[in-house]
Amino acid sequence: MSEWFERDPLWFKRAVFYEVHIRGFYDGNDDGAGDFRGLIEKLDYLQWLGVDCIWLLPMYPSPLRDGGYDIADFYGIHPDYGTVDDFKEFVEQAHQRGIRVIADLVMNHTSSDHPWFQESRADPKGPRGDWYVWSDSDTPYKDARIIFVDTEPSNWTLDPVRGQYYWHRFFSHQPDLNFESLEVQEAMLNVLRFWLDLGIDGFRLDAVPYLFEEEGTNGENLPPTHEYLRRVRAEVDARYPDRVLLAEANQWPADVVQYFGDGDECQMAFHFPVMPRMFMAVRREDATPMYEILASTPDIPDNCQWGLFLRNHDELTLEMVTDEERDYMYTEYAKDPRMKLNLGIRRRLAPLLDGGRDEIELMHAILFSLPGSPVLYYGDEIGMGDNVYLGDRDGVRTPMQWTGDRNAGFSRADWAQLYLQPLMDPVYGYQAVNVEAQLRSPASFLRWLHRFIALRKEHPVFGLGTYEPLKSDNPRIFAHMRRWEEDVILCVHNLARSAQPVQLDLSKYDGMVPEEMFGRTSFPPIGELPYLLTLAPRGFFWFRLRQPT
Amino acid sequence: MSFDEQALIDHVTKQRWYGAKSREVAHAQLVDSVVVRTAEPQFALALAEMRYDTGAHDVYQLLWALRDDAIEIDGLTDPALARELVSAMRSGLTLQGAEGIVEFRPLEGFAGLGRELKEARDVGAEQSNTSIVFDDELILKVFRRLEPGVNPELEVLRFLTEHGFGNIAALGGWYSYTGGPLAATLGILQEYVRGGLDGWELALDELADDPDRFLGRLRRLGEVTGEMHRVLASDPSDPAFAPETPSVESLGLLTATVDEEIARVFLSLPDEAESVAPIAGRGEEVRDQLRQLTHTGAAGQFIRVHGDYHLGQTMWADDDWVILDFEGEPARSLAERRRKRSVLRDVAGMLRSFAYAASAVSLLRDTDPPEGWEDEARARFLEGYFETVDPALLPAGPAATERLLAVFELEKAVYELQYELDNRPAWVSIPVRGIQRLIEEPMPA
Repeated sequence: MSEWFERDPLWFKRAVFYEVHIRGFYDGNDDGAGDFRGLIEKLDYLQWLGVDCIWLLPMYPSPLRDGGYDIADFYGIHPDYGTVDDFKEFVEQAHQRGIRVIADLVMNHTSSDHPWFQESRADPKGPRGDWYVWSDSDTPYKDARIIFVDTEPSNWTLDPVRGQYYWHRFFSHQPDLNFESLEVQEAMLNVLRFWLDLGIDGFRLDAVPYLFEEEGTNGENLPPTHEYLRRVRAEVDARYPDRVLLAEANQWPADVVQYFGDGDECQMAFHFPVMPRMFMAVRREDATPMYEILASTPDIPDNCQWGLFLRNHDELTLEMVTDEERDYMYTEYAKDPRMKLNLGIRRRLAPLLDGGRDEIELMHAILFSLPGSPVLYYGDEIGMGDNVYLGDRDGVRTPMQWTGDRNAGFSRADWAQLYLQPLMDPVYGYQAVNVEAQLRSPASFLRWLHRFIALRKEHPVFGLGTYEPLKSDNPRIFAHMRRWEEDVILCVHNLARSAQPVQLDLSKYDGMVPEEMFGRTSFPPIGELPYLLTLAPRGFFWFRLRQPT
Repeated sequence: MSFDEQALIDHVTKQRWYGAKSREVAHAQLVDSVVVRTAEPQFALALAEMRYDTGAHDVYQLLWALRDDAIEIDGLTDPALARELVSAMRSGLTLQGAEGIVEFRPLEGFAGLGRELKEARDVGAEQSNTSIVFDDELILKVFRRLEPGVNPELEVLRFLTEHGFGNIAALGGWYSYTGGPLAATLGILQEYVRGGLDGWELALDELADDPDRFLGRLRRLGEVTGEMHRVLASDPSDPAFAPETPSVESLGLLTATVDEEIARVFLSLPDEAESVAPIAGRGEEVRDQLRQLTHTGAAGQFIRVHGDYHLGQTMWADDDWVILDFEGEPARSLAERRRKRSVLRDVAGMLRSFAYAASAVSLLRDTDPPEGWEDEARARFLEGYFETVDPALLPAGPAATERLLAVFELEKAVYELQYELDNRPAWVSIPVRGIQRLIEEPMPA
């Protein structure tokens, strides 16, 4: 544990997370790509914003054919990003500012460039011959779906060197490790120990449902996968207090909760299905999808937490919606076919919401009000745009826009040398949208979000409290209560483009006084009759219910 | 030792150093404890956690004595027991608790630890600590509310002592806790400045009797401040102190922070109070002024600074100034107090202190300072300061320096305004005048 924190095994339940694409954040050595030295320079900014934990996208040596999720060495730092010493310095500097750090780790597979795979394909009888999933035919495990449907025809690819097929749930250059091998299991634990010893506060475990395969199943969420995760957790708990394991399992809530186990697997998991429903609710001006998905979300152990997000570095995934809902989302949010990728939409938050400030604020209000810890994606705090003409997911991974100066203040390298050019379009380009300008403008979204994060952090109820839906007579209103110890919070959101009245049954709280949380204005006391509120278009109110004075 | 939870809550919540008087304590428990002295009367040190009803908590350091099986919760009031802490430092003791260790350490080469201590007196508790003076030679400062990480008081005093800055009370030793619950500095021992006059009291006394005499001391205070900053910036090999070039958005972050403080204070400004009349309804003007002032370009280098600099943190002794209390503003988090900043923030703190002295002498001593005294005090202090300080620490050029200085004065005055509104309504006019001055004075060109 770092000397800059008190022991606090549940810190992640009250934390605001911030996802950083190191390559795109800040270039500290003028070579055109972001790095750890650059990230250190921007820690004061993240501290000001109120970030509690930085989540780093993969930072390991990699041929970068999948944004670094194709790891070629688990024990190093990609030379573009710096060295292991730079990484240590970054973690120490973050800790000194009260910020924790978690990093992406892919346990399921490696890059085909990884020496383990090279050994395995070259020497089937050798010590690493069984470290990957090899087969003489491409027929086993037929019930496992193909995830990257746009690029991969099969989960099996024939290796010309070994003359056998190898198994890969993702790209064909990402062979799956064989977790049936006890040596592989132990090797992966050693990787975890290495980074934990360097001071890291946890991992986002990428593609975690796919560790094991089994004939006659879809190869996802299998019992041995959970058994292995329990082993990982026990190892972490025994030697490394206050660390967190965050599962990336793009699954339905009933399947995802299995990754919490009995509080003995991952402490956190992303809630994937809630996100597209927030977009649907806002577009349809109807709260039903929100109430429904939260109603179908099972309870989770007390020492666990959902990770909630609006956007991330991947496409806005539509795997966890019905076909009909997916068609609706495509029609509404991906009018240009270029915007689609796999089963999703590759756009950033602000363009998805047509740059509407009210909509962006409303989406953040809903996100921050739900039971879970919010995960922000770099650039969304200033409303950055995307570039759908760039390949794969690069369109949402362009350089952070720091200033209106050359290269968006991201790098002092030559323009042509940048890993990707910053956005220059008139609406979202760096001259219009940048940190410097928004810091100086009191009415900017960045300044609003800063105040909003501070407000949320004053009230642990948002991270720790219970959730009770509050149905009303008006389907355009999403209202709910959060309670924890003495804090009773009422959140009311208007999903409609027009002003709306709503009557809420608050008779349980008869006599209490709602105090609006931003301006601290007291509203009329609650009585036995339905409580009437009027909300502006896309408006919201958060109230703290107080005893009358 | 076992404790009644309620007795623990009752004891801690009635202490002067207990910081959360407005909060309801739901639970209290001992986090760890070690026995410092095993002979009768036994003397123990404990960390106690106070958990509030909102779920937040604080950790406090307690010292207690065990006499005839009865527990006296604050053993520090017993001089014999307080001496134990000093002798533990002298011998470099390490004590094992259930969850961690307490380490007592002397600063190498500190001569003051060699003697036998006789007398010990409690010199009162401040917001978050207790101080004991031994034989008018040494002073022990015990931190009560603990935060994880090294306390800036220890960090900065140690740095200044080791780098030969003379105008401080040198560090003699310290003790700290390292364990599962947290790692924190528990206390420090330093030289006691014998016969020193508190800078704030001296200012008031001389303003009443002989205002020019005090003015005569301020050039030297400026020089000592400049020298303190020079030393604090002198070691690029120590990462905690190495000067840094601020990032491009550092001025933007400062602007945003101060702007939000202004907005917050003006939101709750009582309209009817006469004392705030000169600035009532002028919040937007203040914010505009801030935006103008922060167009300064580069801000110079950022270094570790004093952090809570005013006349009350100085002493006049042996014909020179001594600078005290490097803990930083106690209301801010440790991470914030350790942050590197512009030296002008300290300078602004001291300039605001002159404004306070000029007004306080009317409020407390019933005499008015001579016309122009504050302006003269500022001029003399700044003259000494700018002659001594390393110009690399300042923005380029006098205009940019003046502007950034004005930003920090504004930040300080806004903070004072909130404090006085909450605590001392009779003093509200002081920050009001400061803010008025900053919006009405012509902008440095």
